[in-house]
Amino acid sequence: MRTIADINDKIAAGKATVWTIGEAKARIAELGVSQAAKQVDVITTGTFEPMESSGAIINLGHTDPPIKIRQCWLDEVLAYSGFGAVDLYLGAAQMSDEPEVERGGGHVIADLVAGKSVSLRAVGQGTDCYPRTAFETTISKETINQFYLFNPRNLYQNFIVGVNGGNRPLYTYLGPLQPGLGNAVYSNPGALSPLLNDPDLRLVGIGSRIWLGGAEGYVTWEGTQHFPLQKRLPNGTPIGPAATLALVGDAKQMDARWVRGCYFRGYGPSLMLGIGVPLPVLDEAVLEKCAVRDEDLVAPVMDFSIPRRVRPTFGLVSYAQLKAGKIKIDGRVVRVAPLASAYLAGEVAIALKQKIEVGEFLLTEPVAALPSDRTLLPQNTWNSGLSLE
Amino acid sequence: MKKRVTLTFPRQTVQMPIAYILAKDFNVAANIIRAQVAPSHTGKIVLELSGDIDELDASLDWMRSRDIQVSLANQEIVVDENTCVHCGLCTGVCPTEALTLDPQTFRLNFARSRCIVCEQCIPTCPVDAISTNL
Repeated sequence: MRTIADINDKIAAGKATVWTIGEAKARIAELGVSQAAKQVDVITTGTFEPMESSGAIINLGHTDPPIKIRQCWLDEVLAYSGFGAVDLYLGAAQMSDEPEVERGGGHVIADLVAGKSVSLRAVGQGTDCYPRTAFETTISKETINQFYLFNPRNLYQNFIVGVNGGNRPLYTYLGPLQPGLGNAVYSNPGALSPLLNDPDLRLVGIGSRIWLGGAEGYVTWEGTQHFPLQKRLPNGTPIGPAATLALVGDAKQMDARWVRGCYFRGYGPSLMLGIGVPLPVLDEAVLEKCAVRDEDLVAPVMDFSIPRRVRPTFGLVSYAQLKAGKIKIDGRVVRVAPLASAYLAGEVAIALKQKIEVGEFLLTEPVAALPSDRTLLPQNTWNSGLSLE
Repeated sequence: MKKRVTLTFPRQTVQMPIAYILAKDFNVAANIIRAQVAPSHTGKIVLELSGDIDELDASLDWMRSRDIQVSLANQEIVVDENTCVHCGLCTGVCPTEALTLDPQTFRLNFARSRCIVCEQCIPTCPVDAISTNL
């Protein structure tokens, strides 16, 4: 019906029709898939949630005399430096080395994106090429060569719901979970979520241009723990964590509104990111998938009180139930809170829509498809003679 | 009876062992809810006082006579609109549902009149957007 080249011609001419995923679902319900597919060229999806498997590549530029950095701290947060002399990787979930400080790599990345200055302290290995062994300075995004996010795992296609069936409070990556099934937390925006509207990864692949933190970004690879073989419902959507994407984008061009450091008490720091994915309406099948509603999507309820790889589950609940704020577990009503911001997910979809409408964002064909056959291997201590299973 | 008060100490009064005097002279138990006190600085402390109603009033009069400012106005929870990302995590720990997400806009809504200042939302907020006005 349409090719990506057709759609890009329309975008360049300022004539493309773009709907946010929220608008698309309303129009599909009103007009039906066939009519809606005739009208729309692109659908924009977005999410805004903590993504701790994120980080920034930084190249400092060389000092005089030069240094080969082997240890480095940015605002007292350790950055990895075991590669090129002044190359650094700052992980979002790295904790500050300052005691009692609830800060980490995510906050430092967010500060740099916001244009703030950050202190840097480095220790070098003295060599003939790089004689300097110590260096201290203050950097900002203007004073470093490269500063880009290189995120090994973002945009989870579905996730879990956390509860606590034990008898003490738990401090988790989903926030505090109260004992005795005191509350439940989910962290995927459900029907708004980019990859739940492209469940078979037909539209998104390696090389796809996306919107990352307000700047252009790209899908570089499958994400870590990419698990497309997750069990799926007849509508193609997975019943738990499934596909993931590795993303890259220029942090110098990002907007601080969409890149936010965050901290979970008793767990650690992370990075909240706004990510937008445009879905080209190539044919009616695209819209059929985009029609998916919260009542058609499910996530498993996991008990965090058992600190094992395979946690006991209380079964599946729908995103419609989750968003209503209450679920029933074992006949008990449990209050539910989200962790992904539905409000900012909607704002991301609007921001991307506006970029496409003014011709500033063109779509791309994927260079290669994402693998559809990855299993998820556990890490066991082989032949240890001791079995905990 | 119980009374929650906010006390502001002038610098010269900071050294006074206030909880001891309340207990000894007025038979009033002082439970410290929150305190910001340092030597030779103006101090602030939120106390939950419990005791006989007349002795409680007498203790408040005595504190006022010592230039300690006594405020019966309760502290409040403040949500910083510019920092909040409207994720909604706080809504799950708020026992009175003073914090809710608007079902239409999905923005965070704070009904101050329902808040009992239990402060559970403060450490729950991942972006440090919630505080008290103390």
